[in-house]
Amino acid sequence: MFTTRALRQAAAHAERTPMIKFLGPRSIPSSVDHTPKPHPESPSGKLPADFAKSGNSHTSFSTYRDHAQQHGPLQKSIRSGQGIGSVPAAALGDITPPKGVFFDTSELPARFQRAPIDWAEIEAVESGGAPAWN
Amino acid sequence: MLASRLIPRHTVRPVVARSTLPTVLAPNSTSRWSRGYASSSEEKDLVIIGGGVAGYVAAIKAGQEGLSVACIEKRGTLGGTCLNVGCIPSKSLLNNSHLYHTILHDTKNRGIEVGDVKLNLANLMKAKDSSVTGLTKGVEFLLKKNGAEYIKGAGSFVNENEVKVALNDGGETTVKGKNFLIATGSEATPFPGLEIDEKRVITSTGAIALEKVPETMVVIGGGIIGLEMASVWSRLGAKVTVVEFLGQIGGPGMDTEIAKATQKLLKKQGLEFKLNTKVLSGDTSGDKVKLNVDATKGGKEETLEAEVVLTAIGRRPYTAGLGLENIGLELDERGRVIIDSEYRTKIPHIRCVGDATFGPMLAHKAEEEAVAVVEYIKKGYGHVNYGCIPSVMYTYPEVAWVGQSEQDLKNQKIPYNVGTFPFSANSRAKTNLDTDGMVKMLADPETDRLLGIHIVGPNAGEMIAEGTLAMEYGASSEDIARTCHAHPTLAEAFKEAAMATHSKAIHF
Repeated sequence: MFTTRALRQAAAHAERTPMIKFLGPRSIPSSVDHTPKPHPESPSGKLPADFAKSGNSHTSFSTYRDHAQQHGPLQKSIRSGQGIGSVPAAALGDITPPKGVFFDTSELPARFQRAPIDWAEIEAVESGGAPAWN
Repeated sequence: MLASRLIPRHTVRPVVARSTLPTVLAPNSTSRWSRGYASSSEEKDLVIIGGGVAGYVAAIKAGQEGLSVACIEKRGTLGGTCLNVGCIPSKSLLNNSHLYHTILHDTKNRGIEVGDVKLNLANLMKAKDSSVTGLTKGVEFLLKKNGAEYIKGAGSFVNENEVKVALNDGGETTVKGKNFLIATGSEATPFPGLEIDEKRVITSTGAIALEKVPETMVVIGGGIIGLEMASVWSRLGAKVTVVEFLGQIGGPGMDTEIAKATQKLLKKQGLEFKLNTKVLSGDTSGDKVKLNVDATKGGKEETLEAEVVLTAIGRRPYTAGLGLENIGLELDERGRVIIDSEYRTKIPHIRCVGDATFGPMLAHKAEEEAVAVVEYIKKGYGHVNYGCIPSVMYTYPEVAWVGQSEQDLKNQKIPYNVGTFPFSANSRAKTNLDTDGMVKMLADPETDRLLGIHIVGPNAGEMIAEGTLAMEYGASSEDIARTCHAHPTLAEAFKEAAMATHSKAIHF
């Protein structure tokens, strides 16, 4: 409590404000302009003419996003007729196998199978983990 | 592209039935029985060409961000020039040659009598190789740990979405990607008219692997690489002459006052300098390599002879064999890949970072860019402050700087305050008998905000980290001066230089 009071008093009578800025946790700006701009270290300080041209060569937003960022908000949505993901689960019918038919575990999606052991793990097990920290 | 991932791999595929059972069904494509795995596609979120510091850092970061990533590297080991034939092996040689030099010349003053001292160059090289091997294997482990696929081979673009890889073990594979990153780095610029054989006419790659200490060595280029290698071989016994075209050593960015002080210190160690001197031609036909040089300002022509000539006139981007012609990507007049502020080429999902594009050719700059580029891909926002990238020359004493030099400020007519502090007035440097060098700070006269920090002295490369942090946070010289520094440390010289900048140093 005394510390806080001392700090408050010091702030009220500050003869010097440090210039150092504590930025706090960094956050992504809510809107980012992605139009091509020259790189800060570009010696010419400008982009070649065909840079902008290629950006405008897309006939639709859909073709542009195929070429641009493929993650986050630009990801293509699932449309009908494009595989099993486009069909609602209910429309696929009963999940129980017909009589006399069985699944083999190897037929299941990877997430239901035994996780593959990678070389790092094999090495770690065989050696007691020592070379991993070379 | 994404659509192809959603098409079931096996639209018609019989389920496995036990042999004793009567029926095997071939289900239709829309039934539950078909196997359509949205995650089974071979297409990677990010394909990186080059496993150097830019490439491997991007691969690790991408793995951490949950992207599926492949890193293609043809060298056979990760880490690129830096780890394999650059920063790391040269630091091993610099450190051990410094120890050797110290034992030979500097232990008597310190009260240590040493007997017969011999150099075992083969073992010196072995120590270097074991550091390199340990680190490259460590990087390979980190890639595995973060789920990044490492493909050993040479990658070249087939089209905008596919890279063909000629595998080192023979054969070929193709990798598809949604995003690509060119991180192919750079190579030493050859000197026109001198054929590099890495034995007598060498680049930095040959300079870290000489089999014997040459009697004489000429280094063409007095930049960071040239001076580091000149130091190594001079300490080990070679008579080294450095030929530099410009009027100061250290290359671009080094403050002139610091460069002059450094040159004096290196000269004391036995290096010879020929500044303002141009190499006209070379002749490798005789026992020794001959170089015709000419002073650029009205001097006369002379011939230098040396057992080994090191060309260290800079590096150039390396993009050979990348198949850029197949995707219509052009380079600028110096061979750099043209990018925008988000590291995109004119084909937006193909990006480029590191030595292959704009900016200083520094490993730590490439690392920063690698992290930023993955963040741009994943989050749409990244950050690199090009005004705050430190440079270090690992000679003895080390030279380090960040921000602008006094000449930069003068050229731009920016007013500044300057404060300096010599290590000869620092208690720790005195006790270490290691008092060469100084710290120099430049700050805005009105706000006192730091504009540049330049150090020549023991441990300068570590000390610059404090300056870089201060500059990144927009600190004033007073901020540093009012921060308590432990006593007795070399870092006190840093604090005192800050005091000298905004007011007066106590101990000088």
